[in-house]
Amino acid sequence: MTAVSSDTRVTDERGMLLRLYREIARGRALEDVVHQLVQERSFRGFFHPGRGQEGVQAAVCAALERDDYLLYAHRGLTYLTAKGMDPVEILGDFHGRVVGSTRGLGAGTVHCVDPELGIMGQGGTLGSSFTLSAGLAMASKSLGQTKVACAFFGDGASARGTFLEAGVTAKAWGLPVVWVCENNGWAVSARVQDVQGTSDIAPRARALGFHTQVVDGQDALAVYEAAREAVTQARNGVPAFIEAKTQRIDGHYTGDMQPYRDRDEVAAAKARDPLDLAGARLTELGEDPAALAQIREEARAEMTAADAAARQSPFPDGSRIHEGLWA
Amino acid sequence: MTETKPITYAWAINHAIDEEMQRDPTVFLIGQDVGRMGGVFGLTRGLFDKYGAERVRDVSIVEHLVVGGAVGAAIGGMRPIAEVQFADFLLLAGDESFHKMAKWRYMHGGRLTVPMVVRAPCGIQGGVGAEHSQSPEAHYWHTPGVKIAVPSNPADAKGLLKSAIRDDNPVIYFENRRLYRNKGVVDPDPELLVPFGQGTVAREGTDVTIVAWSAMVPAALEAAEILEREQVSVEVVDPRTLVPFDMETVAASVRKTSRLLVLHEASLTAGPGAEIAARAADELFELLDAPVKRLAGTDNPIPQNMALEPFCYPQTDEIVSTVRDLAKW
Ligand SMILES: Cc1ncc(C[n+]2csc(CCOP(=O)(O)OP(=O)(O)O)c2C)c(N)n1
Ligand SMILES: [Mg+2]
Repeated sequence: MTAVSSDTRVTDERGMLLRLYREIARGRALEDVVHQLVQERSFRGFFHPGRGQEGVQAAVCAALERDDYLLYAHRGLTYLTAKGMDPVEILGDFHGRVVGSTRGLGAGTVHCVDPELGIMGQGGTLGSSFTLSAGLAMASKSLGQTKVACAFFGDGASARGTFLEAGVTAKAWGLPVVWVCENNGWAVSARVQDVQGTSDIAPRARALGFHTQVVDGQDALAVYEAAREAVTQARNGVPAFIEAKTQRIDGHYTGDMQPYRDRDEVAAAKARDPLDLAGARLTELGEDPAALAQIREEARAEMTAADAAARQSPFPDGSRIHEGLWA
Repeated sequence: MTETKPITYAWAINHAIDEEMQRDPTVFLIGQDVGRMGGVFGLTRGLFDKYGAERVRDVSIVEHLVVGGAVGAAIGGMRPIAEVQFADFLLLAGDESFHKMAKWRYMHGGRLTVPMVVRAPCGIQGGVGAEHSQSPEAHYWHTPGVKIAVPSNPADAKGLLKSAIRDDNPVIYFENRRLYRNKGVVDPDPELLVPFGQGTVAREGTDVTIVAWSAMVPAALEAAEILEREQVSVEVVDPRTLVPFDMETVAASVRKTSRLLVLHEASLTAGPGAEIAARAADELFELLDAPVKRLAGTDNPIPQNMALEPFCYPQTDEIVSTVRDLAKW
């Protein structure tokens, strides 16, 4: 196995944090637009808010190259925008318009796709990304490419059997996978401790022989450093795993009032909002709060404009259902 | 001149894989014991030595990974041939086959392609019981997005597998274990492909049409021999692929015979024959002089007892008597 030499610590903390701040703000602004769509019922279907977890998604994607593979998860949208996807295409999917990335089939969070950016989609059944990412990593390796296959999933999905099957195989073949567990402690209403007998997911990855890190998911910079390390490991043939301890601020889906959850816990989650934490650190480093407000405002404007653009696009004809089944 | 020495169905499969791996470096094999051992049925012998461990990938007991990993590799630019040791095991990878393999392209707007093959050894043979003997083609026929090949002889086994490997869509290739040792002449021309969706008339006749595939074709041909002595002339149509299904060749045959028997090994109820019979009733009604008959596997799990196996799928004498009755209409 190749020794990993590159130092993954960030030298320009302020610059990197600013970049992450912007991505978190963009993901959140996009999500705010989606909440509106749900409220006005122009999007019908499940939406799983990612508020509280954007730092993990922004930071990991910042550590990926443009053509690295991404199999995102269902919680929020920051993975997509941070990987470079056009918000008009994402919102086009929510609206079910032809400008959407699925060209009118619709999607919501699930199934947004951008092959150019390595965004290879998502399955509606949790845990599919373990085997698919292993396959993508196999392809990358066989074709002599340097791409890693990054898969996001929650603590709940980490219990799927596919985790073990893909994990042992990734280890056996030294596949360049980066698995990122967003451990928010909950799978809908099931507390991970209650249903898995532990709150820690990383030990099972370590047991499989993955390079394993546990990181505070609310600290975007810490996640970025861990992700750099993980990506370096994976490119060198060591499957890598990150458990990001994170917080789900909202309900499982938009409209879930979380009656099963302690109010204090939700309040504590809000107190560790990754946008606020990054903002506070940036201010400490000398960043003008007005400049941060400006970034948030730009993000809002970008997403509002994207929504307007998506709404301009037509709905597909009924014949759309017959297109694209066969190559 | 091409060589004319007959080879087995099993060896025809080996040749197809070998030739396609030679031709296209993105083709690779993945499955349990496909490598060092050369397959539990010996079908992939020699390939590991020739192509190495990166292209003939032995795995652990990981059916989800075999199929799901193949889907991932396929969207990443490879052409995987995934082998499950028994077709029954494909059902373990239900999510990966029904959802990922069949739907990934469509769900993502048609913007990704899934060029892969699953080789699924099927069929009742050897007393291996209820979970090692099924022919689950109807499960997948009911799943839009996968093609299905069901070769009945060595030449088709080779030509269809080569077409499957070159196809940009996912294909399940059902190889019946009772056929592995059957021999036939196979043209060694590496560009001789059998196209999907083109059935063939395995035997010409005028009184009754039997639609049969896979291991039911030799059985139908044997029954036809017997019936010929009774002056009943049987035409055997082998569709060769179920998806796409060549209804035209069936229609052309029924136009001659006006009587149709659908014959298959999978169990009867809601089986693949139901689809064909329904389509015949719908599309060929005016041509028919008799009700469409189905003769198929029995509706029970397959016992792990070789003495009971022949009771579980159509035997030649049953085919003969069913056709005899049909011919009376
Ligand atoms: C295989 C499967 N089972 C159940 C569901 C329904 N479901 C959607 S999200 C979810 C909770 C997942 O929890 P986790 O993996 O921790 O992710 P989180 O929602 O917390 O981000 C469930 C049960 C599903 N989509 N797929
Ligand atoms: Mg969770």
